[in-house]
Amino acid sequence: MKAIDREWIIKKVLLVLAMMTVLGIAMIIFFVVKESIPAFRQAGLSNLASSDWSPESGRYGMLVFFTGTLATSLGGLLLGAPLAIAAAVFLTQMAPRRVKTVVGRGIDLLAGVPSIVLGWLGLTVLVPWIRALTNSTGTGILAASILLAIMVIPTITAISKDALEAVPRSYREAALGMGATRWQTIRQVLLPAAKPGILVAVILGMGRAIGETMAVALVIGPATVFPKSLTSPTHTLTTKILIDMGESTGVQRSALFAMGLVLLLLAMGMILLIRLVTRRMQPVR
Amino acid sequence: MLRQETRDAGIAVLLGEGVRKAEERAARYDKAATWAVWSFAGVAIGILAFIIGTIFFRGITTALTPSFVFGKPQAIQAGGGIWPMIVSSFYLAFLTIAIVLPVGVGAAIYMSEFAKEGWITRLVRFGADSLSTVPSVVFGIFGMVIFVIYFGLGYSLLAGALTLTLLNIPTVMRTTEEAMAAVPHSYREASMGLGASRWETVKKIVLPSAMPGITTGTVLTVGRIVGESAAIIYTVGLFVRKIPTSPLQPAAPMAANIWHMYTEGALVSDWMRVANGEAAFLLIVVLVLNLLARLLAKVYQKKLGTKEAR
Repeated sequence: MKAIDREWIIKKVLLVLAMMTVLGIAMIIFFVVKESIPAFRQAGLSNLASSDWSPESGRYGMLVFFTGTLATSLGGLLLGAPLAIAAAVFLTQMAPRRVKTVVGRGIDLLAGVPSIVLGWLGLTVLVPWIRALTNSTGTGILAASILLAIMVIPTITAISKDALEAVPRSYREAALGMGATRWQTIRQVLLPAAKPGILVAVILGMGRAIGETMAVALVIGPATVFPKSLTSPTHTLTTKILIDMGESTGVQRSALFAMGLVLLLLAMGMILLIRLVTRRMQPVR
Repeated sequence: MLRQETRDAGIAVLLGEGVRKAEERAARYDKAATWAVWSFAGVAIGILAFIIGTIFFRGITTALTPSFVFGKPQAIQAGGGIWPMIVSSFYLAFLTIAIVLPVGVGAAIYMSEFAKEGWITRLVRFGADSLSTVPSVVFGIFGMVIFVIYFGLGYSLLAGALTLTLLNIPTVMRTTEEAMAAVPHSYREASMGLGASRWETVKKIVLPSAMPGITTGTVLTVGRIVGESAAIIYTVGLFVRKIPTSPLQPAAPMAANIWHMYTEGALVSDWMRVANGEAAFLLIVVLVLNLLARLLAKVYQKKLGTKEAR
């Protein structure tokens, strides 16, 4: 009887620990919403959704930063996803074992490089290159996209690799057996079969790019206007929050939390998207 | 008659020619694609080598001397060191691990050993998934509001550790669950067949067998904490002169201090040198932790392997 009681207590304690995840996300949502209420009340939705950020005259528009977030992450995906998917194909289909270990570990290691370190390298190496090549400040969407591409590669590679490995061996053998070349097998059989998984990989990469702060903050500009080109300064949601939070009060501070809320919504959107994709691929299994 | 035959033969030749051409094209594509994919992989590795090479080279040639690593930081003069920043990074990492490990491992035990699939597990998974997609800067401003201001902890190691605990619960949970899933079911059945309760089985059989995976995951989590910056800038602090001694004191982990050097750079003339040195040191720490994780996994594997062989 006593043993059962102890088991019961332990089970409940473990349940409480597991519920910490739910409590955590609930608290984050609650506090971010609560802190952003003054912005919605006093500035209003149309003010917040405008592209005019000038707190001194009561304008708290975040459209420029939202655009910056979308542009940099799409740019990062455009550059990074093909490389990452190629790396996954390489690792699962082409690489000899030795090369596979080296490349695989290298890409794992890339995931461990702290974003501030990558940003620092971007600021001191990449930005001067772009500046010299394009005769501009060098900071902006292009530099941020290149850094984000490097950062999404490990995420997309790892998950695409799992997806490619999950394709039944028989598919590959059947295609090769019918006389298809390796590339035909990869393009017409393996990649289509692994498509949902690769899609999830790309969405998660997008999530990582949207949330990335430090690396982007060091190379984005900053400026509070739409960029005139890919190499002129601008801002993203994360970098604006990071740079302004220390010195903001009142409605301005609240507007920064509203930007955090937008980021939260984007993150939740990603999760829903992934659930949709994985649900649609389940019946096939 | 004859014409018909010649025509058929002609068609056969043409068809053969077509097939041959298609095959040749396929072979050419295959070669080109192989070449392209190899060079893509080469580019990826090239980028990595370039990053590590540049950071190391610059760090070692411009900054990393004993007097820099073990020296006192300077706020307005050149020639400062980073010892308190190094200590801050590790202090923060161990404090966070001390909190996140029991929570994450406990949650994982619940999910993999006790829970039945149902709305509770779905809710917990949703919570973990959500936490792992929240941008780190949002963790940062949340931590600032609740731990720094609301709980009155101020900029402190504890406020940062609590923030980073939330950030790292999903990964600790996932690595632990994976490690526990790798423990054969027969172990559990054998233990419970001998009359052990579920918790005794977890404590004496499942956890010890899952230890290698949990340890490796923990080492990698330390690496992630040491490298994290956006979540700690508004919770832990950016610059200190002295080594922090209590969890309630502010600290300046290297990652945050690099940001400080960039934003307040004009204050010290050699700010680039300090940032270079910290970047190199951070990268070294992450590399060493990665190697350590791999090494530990190998050692454990050997140990378990020999045990089974006996």
